[in-house]
Amino acid sequence: MDKLVINDLTFRYKNSGPDIIKDLDFTLQLGTFNVLYGPSGCGKSTLMKIIAGLYPEFSGHVTSGKMYIDSEDVDDWNTQDFSKHVAFLFQNPNDQFSMTTVKREFIFTLENLGLPIEQIEETIDRSLERVGILNFKDRKLDTLSGGELQKVSLAITLAMNSDLIMLDEPFACIDIKSRKQLLELLKDLQENDHKTILITDHDLMGYQGIVDDLYHFDDGQVQPVLKPAEVFATYQKENRQLLFDKPGDTVESIIDLHELNLQNGAKSLINSASVDVFKGKMILLTGENGTGKSTLFSALTRLHDYRGSIKYLKKDILKYNQRKYARYVGLIFQDSQMQYLKLTVEDEIKLSLKHTNYPDFWTDDVVEDYLKQLNLAHLKDHVVYQLSGGQKKKLQIFEMLILGDPVLLMDEPLAGLDLHSTKTVMKLIKTVASEQELTVLMISHQLGGLQDFFDYHLQLKNQCLTYTEVLNYESIS
Amino acid sequence: MNRQTTSNKPSALSYSLRDIAFIALTGVFCGAIFFGTSLSYNFLAAGMAAIGLGPFANDVLLGLWMIAGPLAAMLTQKIGASTIGELLGSFVEMILGGQWGAATLISGLIQGVGNGLGFAMTGYKRFDKLGLLLSTITGTLVTFGWSMINEGYGKYNFGFILLLLLVRFISIGFFAGVLVYWINKLVEKSGILNRD
Amino acid sequence: MNPSLKLGLVLIISFELAFMQSVIANLVVAALGLLYLLFKHVSIKKILWMFLVSIIPVFGTWFSFYAHGSGDAMHSAWLLSTRVYAYIFLGGILSYTGTVDELLGSLEQNCRLPSKFVYGTLGAFNFAPRVVVTVKQMKTAAMMRGEALHVWSPEIFFKSILISLRWSDNLSQAMVSHGFNETATRTHYDTYAIPWWNWLVAGVCLVGLQFLAFSGLF
Repeated sequence: MDKLVINDLTFRYKNSGPDIIKDLDFTLQLGTFNVLYGPSGCGKSTLMKIIAGLYPEFSGHVTSGKMYIDSEDVDDWNTQDFSKHVAFLFQNPNDQFSMTTVKREFIFTLENLGLPIEQIEETIDRSLERVGILNFKDRKLDTLSGGELQKVSLAITLAMNSDLIMLDEPFACIDIKSRKQLLELLKDLQENDHKTILITDHDLMGYQGIVDDLYHFDDGQVQPVLKPAEVFATYQKENRQLLFDKPGDTVESIIDLHELNLQNGAKSLINSASVDVFKGKMILLTGENGTGKSTLFSALTRLHDYRGSIKYLKKDILKYNQRKYARYVGLIFQDSQMQYLKLTVEDEIKLSLKHTNYPDFWTDDVVEDYLKQLNLAHLKDHVVYQLSGGQKKKLQIFEMLILGDPVLLMDEPLAGLDLHSTKTVMKLIKTVASEQELTVLMISHQLGGLQDFFDYHLQLKNQCLTYTEVLNYESIS
Repeated sequence: MNRQTTSNKPSALSYSLRDIAFIALTGVFCGAIFFGTSLSYNFLAAGMAAIGLGPFANDVLLGLWMIAGPLAAMLTQKIGASTIGELLGSFVEMILGGQWGAATLISGLIQGVGNGLGFAMTGYKRFDKLGLLLSTITGTLVTFGWSMINEGYGKYNFGFILLLLLVRFISIGFFAGVLVYWINKLVEKSGILNRD
Repeated sequence: MNPSLKLGLVLIISFELAFMQSVIANLVVAALGLLYLLFKHVSIKKILWMFLVSIIPVFGTWFSFYAHGSGDAMHSAWLLSTRVYAYIFLGGILSYTGTVDELLGSLEQNCRLPSKFVYGTLGAFNFAPRVVVTVKQMKTAAMMRGEALHVWSPEIFFKSILISLRWSDNLSQAMVSHGFNETATRTHYDTYAIPWWNWLVAGVCLVGLQFLAFSGLF
């Protein structure tokens, strides 16, 4: 029997905009484990939100098509009918919840469905028990990690009794151990509770042997993959290595951490770390998801409390004037929009030129030349908030480089950039950094193509920060 | 499956869950932004109190507390948005520990109604300069009327009352008028509200 | 006491107080408010803080009437400065003797406030800690670009709106995906009743207030 049937679906966000989904046909068999893969940003999430009944309720227009869930035409379903049949786990698990504790979120959900109150407590316990997290019941949601939040979400879908569970890029924010646990749990739910599972991902690592049907999303349409083994083979990971120098005794430090302790809520992230950041060097900072790399950046920019000491040029960073310090240690935020202050690309760049430490370096010609390399030159009069994700990122990095602050922290600056843009951006960073003797500390998950750009590698592991010479990682061959 | 949706076809009276969450969130943001100001308020108040001009501290900054309402009205263009925005804003303030407690809620209601009257006078059709101008005028008059009773402004001598009224109009005119106009212009130009 | 009834009562008293011309009435209301706070075991620290933050406005009010009041300036000065205390302790009752969850839950059940208002607001409140962090981030991010954002800078509000848009979208989708529908009938895990003695207390308070209002006390 078919769990889900979609015929001839077409969807667009704006009436005047392009079709994101075009004449799409898609069928899911009852009780199967399915993976839909395709590049990031191709429309997989959009499709899931349509199946979950969130679109077009919240955004966009369905211009044609029919959808059946459990052989029922969904045309006259309201959002609650959808939620009873389909569970949808958002890409960012933090976005899934609206209450403050696990129990409160359960109660909110079960009240919404009109469950008699005498059944509520029992349902919560049963669902949490099934996922093995009964001890989370009274926990506050903001103290749970990404992987733990995913489990709570799954427990809630069990309480709601929805038989189709969809997960949108569920492993984007969680570490490898949690990823394995979550996959096992999903398989268990499929086999023993007869749930139908649909996962979208841009990466197929770890799915072989678990998946019943594999689908490929491309150009607004879904195609079943007839020979999945071949596709999995191309996604086999290869062990790779990046090599770095070890800092010598002669290098000068610009930031000194001494017995630094960092916490997020009750969770300890960094325990008594004493390391130096070296002047004029490019340093790569790695560590698993959720280990506290971004929190370290927040501490370095005085946005997060810490114990121990952080010194910039041998002086405690808390003793600097706030405005001045902000121009010594800059941060490229993960969210590009956080950095913008003006409306158009041109005004953003003008603002950076107004405050640059190297006005002689950034002549009109140099700026124009870099804009061309970054493929932004034709966008000068565009509104920054209307740029694509990649364009936003490139502009953000460029304008922070123009400023030429002595230390530049970069939090995942390569996320969402294609291979070509990554190379251009890295070259730009490297050139500007060496011209202006900038110190760069960069967090990056994407490691391909980074060889030769960095001097050192700083690793955050087991709550310790250490310089290491060898970085092993897995990559698609 | 061309389902009709409520959120894509807004009417001036119906609020969706998202609209309410949006208005409340902007209220929380406004609260958080001027919480940094409460310190400066106390300095200002102390200084002015020392020279017998205590209420001026109140009137100089009053406009700050009245940004959320007209902002909600301009952004959502809904009937009653400024009252709801202002009320939610003052609710936030009360819960986050504003020093005026219950009085905040009443003031919030009065400020919201005061601002809202201006938009009502245009039949909820002019969410532009005219609407904002009227809203700052009605906002000033209504809140001042309330201060005459509640804060005893009626018991000052006439010249002092006139001066307070003027200061209040300038404050509301700037924060709830000019500033809101600037913000709204940024929002319009950025296209972030465009959901067609 | 039932949160909705408490809110209503405090609002009525505050409103009527604005029209009353009695210093003694102000002091009585302030004292009763203070007693209630003590009875509810609100920490002494919070109560002291309430006294402390009110010193400046109370003094400012007193002194400005003393300097610029017309008619019986002394009476005005005392009347309006004591009124500040009455308001502060009445406000403390709402701020410190109940939670937002309780108040909104009670408004939903006792006052039939539509559930979308209840949960739209509650959801936004739950974001409050993140909002505070984000405002700090926005200010720092601007400083990193050489600019300072002030309370009169449109940019800081614009960015707040940008984030509010994204969060309200996420929040409402999260609620809907967990079964929220404004037209559906909800059950209530926590129930809020208004027992008879609540009405009695409210009645006594209001009658007492009328006595204070019309007895012509100083």
